[in-house]
Amino acid sequence: MNRNRLGGLLLVLWSALAYGLLYAPLLITVLFSFNAPRGRFNLVWQGFTLENWRHPLRDAALGEAFLTSLALALAAAVVAILLGALMALALARSSVRGGRWIALLLALPLTNPEIVLATGLLNLFVGLNLPRGPLTLLLSHSLFCLSYAALTLKARLAGFDPSLELAAQDLGAPPLQAFRRVTLPLLVPGLLAAGLLSFSLSFDDYVVSSFTAGETVTLPLYLAGAFQREISPQIQVLFTLVLLASVLLLALASPPSGENGRYRP
Amino acid sequence: MAPFAHHEGRRTFLRRLAWGASGALLAPALLQACGRGPGGGGEGADKEGADKKGADKESGELVISSFPLYIDPSRPGAPGSVERFQRDTGIRLRYGEDVNDVRQFFARIRPALAAGQTLPQDLVVLTSWMATRLIQLGWVEPLPFDRIPNARNLIPSLRNPSWDPEQRFSLPWQSGIAGIAYNFKATGRELRSIDDLFDPALKGRVSALLEMRDTMGLLMLADGKDVSRPNWSDAQPSFDRLERARRDGQIRRFTGNDYQNDLLAGNLAACIGWSGDVAQLALEQPDLRFVVPESGGILWADVMLMPKGARHPNAAARWMNWVYDPPQAARIAAAVQYISPVEGVQQILAKDPATAALANNPLMFPDPAKQQRLHVFGPLSEAEEARWDERFARITQA
Amino acid sequence: MPASPQRDRRHGGPRIHRPPSHRPRWPWLLLAPGLLWLLVLYLLPLLSLVPLSLSEPVSRFGLETVFRGRLANYQEVLQAYGPILLRSFAYASLATGLGVVLAYPLAWTIRFRGGRWQPLLMGLVVLPSLTSFLVRAIAWTSLLADQGPLLQLLRSLGLIAPLEALGVLHDGRLLNTASAVILGLTTNLLPFLVLPLVVAMQRIDPVLLEAADDLHAGALRRFTQVVWPLSRPGLAAGILLSLIPAAGDVVNPRFLGGPNNQMIANSIDNLLLVQLQAPRAAALTLVLMALISVAVLLQLRRGLDELPLP
Repeated sequence: MNRNRLGGLLLVLWSALAYGLLYAPLLITVLFSFNAPRGRFNLVWQGFTLENWRHPLRDAALGEAFLTSLALALAAAVVAILLGALMALALARSSVRGGRWIALLLALPLTNPEIVLATGLLNLFVGLNLPRGPLTLLLSHSLFCLSYAALTLKARLAGFDPSLELAAQDLGAPPLQAFRRVTLPLLVPGLLAAGLLSFSLSFDDYVVSSFTAGETVTLPLYLAGAFQREISPQIQVLFTLVLLASVLLLALASPPSGENGRYRP
Repeated sequence: MAPFAHHEGRRTFLRRLAWGASGALLAPALLQACGRGPGGGGEGADKEGADKKGADKESGELVISSFPLYIDPSRPGAPGSVERFQRDTGIRLRYGEDVNDVRQFFARIRPALAAGQTLPQDLVVLTSWMATRLIQLGWVEPLPFDRIPNARNLIPSLRNPSWDPEQRFSLPWQSGIAGIAYNFKATGRELRSIDDLFDPALKGRVSALLEMRDTMGLLMLADGKDVSRPNWSDAQPSFDRLERARRDGQIRRFTGNDYQNDLLAGNLAACIGWSGDVAQLALEQPDLRFVVPESGGILWADVMLMPKGARHPNAAARWMNWVYDPPQAARIAAAVQYISPVEGVQQILAKDPATAALANNPLMFPDPAKQQRLHVFGPLSEAEEARWDERFARITQA
Repeated sequence: MPASPQRDRRHGGPRIHRPPSHRPRWPWLLLAPGLLWLLVLYLLPLLSLVPLSLSEPVSRFGLETVFRGRLANYQEVLQAYGPILLRSFAYASLATGLGVVLAYPLAWTIRFRGGRWQPLLMGLVVLPSLTSFLVRAIAWTSLLADQGPLLQLLRSLGLIAPLEALGVLHDGRLLNTASAVILGLTTNLLPFLVLPLVVAMQRIDPVLLEAADDLHAGALRRFTQVVWPLSRPGLAAGILLSLIPAAGDVVNPRFLGGPNNQMIANSIDNLLLVQLQAPRAAALTLVLMALISVAVLLQLRRGLDELPLP
């Protein structure tokens, strides 16, 4: 049994290494939000200060880019869950001929490197004489968000027992009400998860945005430009705040532990 | 019958839902596609801008795009140029520091200008070779020099430059030198020539600029070639040298402005850099120095241009006139520490004890002897530029 | 409850024989908007790249191109960027391999030792991916800097020479080398490997593992005979979602790599932006697509169930 113990220890260490790799950059960033940089690049530790946190909004352009990304991500997520939910309902609740092909089509954007999507979209917009701006950004983001949202919801719906809704109808509920009061509440965690996923994909998107944004400045585009000339501590402060928000949202959207603990045959 | 009825009911409901959703989703998309959408807050696709030009007497607005950190910023108690200009003239100035990379900026404005549309900007500040390109494409307006009397303060060395021989379309914003920036402690010695960058002792701690004309210009000067009329075959040995250095790992990176970051962090010992940047850096890190190579440095300029169809040419003229007023120019120069294109700045800086040291800075005010060693990279034709860009890209991108 | 015919899950109700003319049309209505989106914003753009890749720019700075059926674009692009294509897939494969080595034990720990904490542990794996990867890349430049913490640690442990010999370090540097790029890629794709593995392992009944123990199978045997075969579909899905995006990465080579470590997406970007060669960029993009299509279609045909979605 000692070998098992050793094996167990190795596993834990290995896992800790993996987590360490994932979290090293985050920890550094949070740490540097408390740094007092001597010059324009907040990358070398000089000394501890709370000054950056007292004036988190000093950089107006950073704040603007942040709000732009926020609005864009919300819009893209909404479009994605709407379209995705419809598609998921259709695919999961019926055996549409060619359903497998549609699911395949949905999955394809996920497997292309972003540069491929970006080049294609740029060519499309140029060809349609569509000026690059918020509209093209929204269209582009909603595309890859749609794939994730639709497939997420399809997977969730596949695990549903539709007899619940039918039971409600058997008990006299009209179909709309049955849908609204039985299926929809059960769908909400799935919608939230799909929405959250879409939101974060859009919020952090760089490659597609750099090709389709035109004059609009999203947060990643702002950062990419800013990093050439300075790295202000406000960026790390913002990052830390977003991290905290993500933790909260993740906690909200996680399914209850009971469900995951169960083993599904 | 009961199950069937429920089935029908559910089907109908879902069908209605489908129609409703499709309609709700597709309708706005179709409408927007037909109406071409708002087109973003940036690239305005409207042609009426051109008509409004006549109406802009003192319209009170001005939109400028320039490089970041290229103007004296506003500090509490010490308003910067942007604020002071607005105060003095009452013109609302939207000063955007969104020219991070000249090529990226060109890619952004290209579609609109190629289609004959108006940009939101009234003035853009771009590197001189990009000015040549825009002038040749006919995408810029002649500047209203009749409304810029202070343009006569332009220093002689920047008059009728090779990128705008008739001095009709551009007015320099700042000028500067591309040379060697290095960390004295890291190199252990003074550096003097381009050959020092290829010193094996510095292997992996050297960088060059992505700005092709600066990097290649310096290398060609080190080869004794004439850069005022850049010649493809003259450039080959320099290209080869650069390629070898990249392949061998002598050159660690090709950078934009971000070489500053690596110099400060200690990742670079020496690099090709720009004079004003290093002057500002040296305030934080005294070991950092800038030197014009023995074989010569490259003198460049960033210039103000007015895109075709600009809506507020009068306001733009007032700005250009204002920044060419020596006291204003001096404040900008003191902040960015590049070569000011305005005559008389040196004297003004010398009078103020806070800025007297800058007045003696040979990088900001090169004496005639030094000016002899500074060369401007000559213009390249479209076809030539394509060739040079391709070879250079192959080296920097690998 | 009235007796009813066997419920067919797919139809969501009792199976009713329906003449062909009554095949349900409502699913198509629901699918229509999304399908339109995909067709216009995904298929159409990709297809539009084909004629573009066979065209020539009319002038260097204008946007028009003229179709000439110019296959030479492909030839030139392959000649100039072939090595970079190979390099991109090499880096992506190394990063994926490294990721698998890290992911398997982590997934195991989460699935079989996680118990009640499974969702939290999984959430912690996903959380970094929700943050700005540009800021993370910058953080890595700080961590891997020549005078940074990692190299100082390696120096104090005397590991510089052996790592140099192994090719991990170049001239005592980590930043702006292939190792840094691969490290960045690995960190980015790790969650996409861990998640499907955990999901796949959730289908492994612990009873099977106990049975293996009862039959005196060693840990290795238990892995190769039980865990590996059952988790392979998850691994395949994870590799699909990791390797291909990694091959097309832009940010890691740009921030963490040197000029000898650039990858194919950087080249496409350069072709479009610096050299203003849209047709060649399109050709290179399609070549990249072609290279990944085979693997993608093979995997996707087997099924989409293993995709790591929340």
